[in-house]
Amino acid sequence: MMRKRFLFSLASVLLLSTLLLAGCNSGKSAEGSGKVTLTFGTSQSGIPRTGIMQTMAKEYEQETGVKIDFQVVPDAQWRDLIKVKLASGEAPDIFNVDVDPLSMPANVRPEENAIDLTNEEFTGRMSEEILPTVSHNDKVYGVSFAPTKIWYVYYNKRIFAELGIEPPTSYAEFKTISQKIKDKDIIPFYQAPASGWYQVLPLFETGPNYEQTTAGTYEKLNNNEMKVADMTQLKTVIEQLKEFADLGYFGKDFLSNTVEAGIEAFGQEKAAMLLRVPGTEKEVSEAYPEMEDNMGFFVMPWGDNQTIGVNPGGSAAMFGNKNSKHPEEVLKFFRWITEHDHLQRVFDEGEGNLTICWPEIEPKLTQDYIDYEKNHEKGTVMQAAVKYIDPQWMDIGKDLSGMFAGAMTPDQILQNIDKRRAEQAKVLKDEAWQ
Amino acid sequence: MNANKIYPWYFSTGAIVLYLLFIVAPALLGIYYSFTDWNSYSSEKNFIGLEHFRTILAGDPTYLLFIKNTVLFTLVTSIAKTVLGLFLALLLVSGVKAANLHRMIIFSPQVLSFLIVGLVFKSLLDPNNGFVNVTLRSMGLDVLAQNWLGSLTWAMPSIMAVDTWKGMGYIMVLFIAGLLAIPRDYYEAASIDGAGFGQKLFRITIPMLMPTITIATVLNITYGLRVFDAVYVLTNGGPGNATDVINTAVYSSFAKGYWGLGSALSTILFVIMAIISFFIIRLMNRKVEY
Repeated sequence: MMRKRFLFSLASVLLLSTLLLAGCNSGKSAEGSGKVTLTFGTSQSGIPRTGIMQTMAKEYEQETGVKIDFQVVPDAQWRDLIKVKLASGEAPDIFNVDVDPLSMPANVRPEENAIDLTNEEFTGRMSEEILPTVSHNDKVYGVSFAPTKIWYVYYNKRIFAELGIEPPTSYAEFKTISQKIKDKDIIPFYQAPASGWYQVLPLFETGPNYEQTTAGTYEKLNNNEMKVADMTQLKTVIEQLKEFADLGYFGKDFLSNTVEAGIEAFGQEKAAMLLRVPGTEKEVSEAYPEMEDNMGFFVMPWGDNQTIGVNPGGSAAMFGNKNSKHPEEVLKFFRWITEHDHLQRVFDEGEGNLTICWPEIEPKLTQDYIDYEKNHEKGTVMQAAVKYIDPQWMDIGKDLSGMFAGAMTPDQILQNIDKRRAEQAKVLKDEAWQ
Repeated sequence: MNANKIYPWYFSTGAIVLYLLFIVAPALLGIYYSFTDWNSYSSEKNFIGLEHFRTILAGDPTYLLFIKNTVLFTLVTSIAKTVLGLFLALLLVSGVKAANLHRMIIFSPQVLSFLIVGLVFKSLLDPNNGFVNVTLRSMGLDVLAQNWLGSLTWAMPSIMAVDTWKGMGYIMVLFIAGLLAIPRDYYEAASIDGAGFGQKLFRITIPMLMPTITIATVLNITYGLRVFDAVYVLTNGGPGNATDVINTAVYSSFAKGYWGLGSALSTILFVIMAIISFFIIRLMNRKVEY
């Protein structure tokens, strides 16, 4: 009797364990049906918000029988999540990561986690500018559609004309026009600290200006021969952001603003200026047709900057998971999506980007942009040229929010940046920090 | 061994195995990792002794702020949930109309995920278009309208208030069960002796409720020390680090790939919880001797 009960208990435990394991394994049921499903993990802004990638994936499924299951995660959480997923061996078959040549190798650890794409035909068709950001030790691991990224300040031409103001070329002018706009009960400049990253752009997109003012700044920072806290121009930009906040140029209670709500605020003329990338005109005028031909742009004038900051990495790139059970299917999808016609569709039916990192695709830059770029110097943004800046982007965003709320000073923000750089350098055993 | 002694083990074996496998082993591994430099940037795991603990407890003042915030949150929400839970329980067992309906309504936030509660309250507390400020302004009380989740003064109290609102229903249910278990004879005898409401409350109700108060306090404190979702959803630790607590720092460390450091923070939290729970249970149990 006792033995029977024991056997019954043991059987119950085994049954429970089997059920648990079966539950854990349920995600692979598609394989049992003979149909391959590839998981595609990405942040919200990693793929076009128009849904063109999902539409094309459905067509791909009809053609090949391979399903692409998109797992779209909010931007603020994706960086953290993919790092943990990669480390735990649970990363999707295809994953998007924001890339730059300095932090991609550490964030992705491509030799362990990514499929080598060096010998793929499509790799040779990507632009020379993007390749360093998706490569490591002379091997290419990523596929990107991202354009070379430039952030401009977009402004409402009608409001500017009514107030008789011109795009500023210095911080003093920026302040003067902002006051005039504020006097008309319009928010001068839309700021979005609630999204976590947007408020950080002025600090590092104006990096070429620091480099021009003090040549060799990037190199010294990378060699740990100077601290971020020693960069007086960067401190000035942070102080100017604080001044704008205190003067009400970001609006009242702006700390809860999100990036997504910026288009609405700008389109409805509640805000006169907005920091965005080329192609914004299309996005804004689609939602607010009356705004068509009513948008101009100028380079960020923080710290008297007049240089265009260029981020060659753009943003996200796709990587194939080296540990995927379907590496061949991943490669086939990459080959399919990078066929000329499919690239053209991603570009045409995306969010309005005016360029793409495939030279074979004709850019849509208007003469305004071409002329503006001709008349201004260009340089690489700080986060793409200085180590350990990009990985702490969200932390700096938090610190800036703290400063706007009165909890931190510009000096403390700079010291925190240095502290986090040292932490990361230590973890990565960077010789310059030993 | 006697068959009767072996018998319970037959049934508990499965549970013990699962407990060891999924609770004890990961906890012990976590403690081990807190002494290593394990991170997402390398496959190596080197033993570095107490270095992480030195960084947290002596090297970096922000970690002390997180510990302070955690303790403050725990203290305030534990007291608020206990007092409000007891007050509501007393109200609902005193013969108020539609007591079951009220009980259900007050308890209902408990079954909601904090993700939903957080999103709802973020909307309600929005400084520009949120219901709270819009209502205050419509009543001419503009001066009371605040940036509830974005200001240094109001962010932490707002999180505490939302958490108390969500959790007090559960504590109330515990107290109702405790109150219903107190024999009515004590109150009748006290009434005959001329005892008033206050005397009955402090001489009968609260002493007899001490086992429930003990449970409620331990639950509130352990929940408070473990708080994460309330802070993460409502403020993500901001503005700046003003509302960051230990668990948001743990999350942040893991997210950055500093797993050894994150494990050390978790270990510190575990030790704090174990010590506080041990002393509370001892203290409260002593008072039960009525």
